[in-house]
Amino acid sequence: MNATAAINRIALLFLAASLLAAPIVLPLLGASFWVSVVAEILIWSLLAASVNLLLGYVGLLSFGQALYFGVGMYGAALSVLHWGAGFWGGLMLGALAAMLMAAVAGSVAVRLTWHYFAIITVVFSLILYFAAMSAKPLTGGDDGISFAPPSIFKFDAVNLSLGDQTVQFYAILAVVAAAYGAMWLIVNSPLGLRFIAVRENDRRAALIGINVYLTRYIAFVIAGTLAGLSGALFAFFGRYASASYMFYHVSGEAVVWAIVGGAGSLLGPLFGTGILIVLRELVSAVWENYLFAVGAITILVVMFAPRGLAGAWSDLIERSARRPAAVAERGPREAPQTAAKDGARSS
Amino acid sequence: MSSPIDLTASGAPIKSGQRPINGEIAAIEDHVSGVVLALAINGLVWGLIIALIALGLSIIFGLLDIINVAHGDFFMLGTVGGLVLTMLTGSFWIAVLFVPVIGFAIGIVLERLVIRPTIRQASLTIVTTFGLSMMLQEGVRATYGAQPRRMEAPIGGTIPLFGIDYDIYRIFAAVFAALCLAAFFLFLNRTKLGTWIRAVRHDPETATSLGIPVARICAITFGLGTAMALLGGAIAAPITTVEFRTGVDILPFCFMAVIIGGLGNLQGTVAAALLLAVFEGLVTSVTDPTIARILSLGLMSAVLLVRPHGLFSGATR
Repeated sequence: MNATAAINRIALLFLAASLLAAPIVLPLLGASFWVSVVAEILIWSLLAASVNLLLGYVGLLSFGQALYFGVGMYGAALSVLHWGAGFWGGLMLGALAAMLMAAVAGSVAVRLTWHYFAIITVVFSLILYFAAMSAKPLTGGDDGISFAPPSIFKFDAVNLSLGDQTVQFYAILAVVAAAYGAMWLIVNSPLGLRFIAVRENDRRAALIGINVYLTRYIAFVIAGTLAGLSGALFAFFGRYASASYMFYHVSGEAVVWAIVGGAGSLLGPLFGTGILIVLRELVSAVWENYLFAVGAITILVVMFAPRGLAGAWSDLIERSARRPAAVAERGPREAPQTAAKDGARSS
Repeated sequence: MSSPIDLTASGAPIKSGQRPINGEIAAIEDHVSGVVLALAINGLVWGLIIALIALGLSIIFGLLDIINVAHGDFFMLGTVGGLVLTMLTGSFWIAVLFVPVIGFAIGIVLERLVIRPTIRQASLTIVTTFGLSMMLQEGVRATYGAQPRRMEAPIGGTIPLFGIDYDIYRIFAAVFAALCLAAFFLFLNRTKLGTWIRAVRHDPETATSLGIPVARICAITFGLGTAMALLGGAIAAPITTVEFRTGVDILPFCFMAVIIGGLGNLQGTVAAALLLAVFEGLVTSVTDPTIARILSLGLMSAVLLVRPHGLFSGATR
């Protein structure tokens, strides 16, 4: 497995290098528009990662992560508007608000599993969505509220100069990288092992003394915080917050990004989000009804790579590292776990 | 945000804004109880249509274990199909006849192309049906257009009902949906194909060993579920807005009916759909539709927590 680990490490270094170089190299190629696309991918990937933390690591399918995204968004926007918070303060408050929301909703939601869990997360997000839509004075409803970017983003939202875009990109990259780093630590801690034990078999996990409810609850709160962080970042990125981002369709997109990327691998959601957003940008430039093509390609990806891009990737490098036996022996049941290990190691 | 389950939409002209101040008490009470009844009936009408759609979702869910996120868009396809076919042929009744047939054909084809390759993994079917949902919405937007339209009721006129004028078409739609529901249960319980469908749902392996063509039954079931969503859409077309996004609003409602009724419990699905819609209709009479929606969602979470296996789990299992 050393060859695999080495390839993964090189790939990760390459990824980090290209992300660091993106705001410098892309404008030189005359593609400065893509810098903001990459920034958007980084932000949304955290929402997909929050779905992945629940689905891929504790085996709970949440269809309501957009709720925490929206709470994070409003947490950031309202604290900047009303309390004069700065970028970092707004970010913290957004994530904190989402964490509290998840702590409340999670205490009830994680009592249920699988289909029932999926439904109750949708129900919660719909309740808050309708509430936010009708609380127009506070949230601005569908139109949302916009705010002037605080101190470290001193520029006008309409007329972004190149240097400003670079600062913004690196701020986003730093936050997203820190979030992935924190996730890596969690997944590789004893808590992460408990997550996987609960995912694989919750009865056995309970029998060896793991508090299944508490484990799921912790995962739920962490996932909510992640989604909130993503929402707060997106609020700063777009300089506004809108209730429409709390709709369940946004949650559904995050689920798709996570599964296309490969549930159970740490960086999978980043690639799933990346490929689908890049695709959207490419096709929308040439075809008005680009979502048709995006839908078709989404279907094709899961048909031909049922373990997502991360699964396809680890198959590919293991085959090229001449370890066919490991691939052949792996049952479908075991697959996500292996992908998880690979993903974890690769970071 | 226009919701297709907007219980106060155009159908029943309720004069809630004009509360008589000095009128006779009896007249006020009459008026109020009339409004409440009308909204309850509105709820019942929508409940029956939703029950038809949710039942389609329920058989797909129960038999194939597919979380069909595209089901709402099949409903949308039905409303658009109803409108377009009515314009083409000049008769709403021809549209209502053909839309479910088209739906069945679409369902069979999609099952073969999209569903079957990922059928054994529920989480993957979410992604494939989500992709399908995007394609359906975008396909309709590209061909039919993004403009929301309203369709004229094929049966015009109103009848006085509890002191207000009520659309005749809505009554017809409710009766028609109820007949379709009855016909479906008769089909499921009294015909050979229906028995096969139940057998496959109960135990696919034994069904295979008894010579039942399981793969074909799965395809037929998916086709039937799709046909029911399209039929529901065609019936609902004259009482809702017809546009490419209506499915998005109706989908959570259908899933809730399925879950609250109990997974795999078809009668439960129907009962839950009726219960939810009538509850929402009644609450709408005292507060605005958004708060009514929030309350019914709250009720739903309470039911989920108290009886996670459905309201009627005790009675059927």
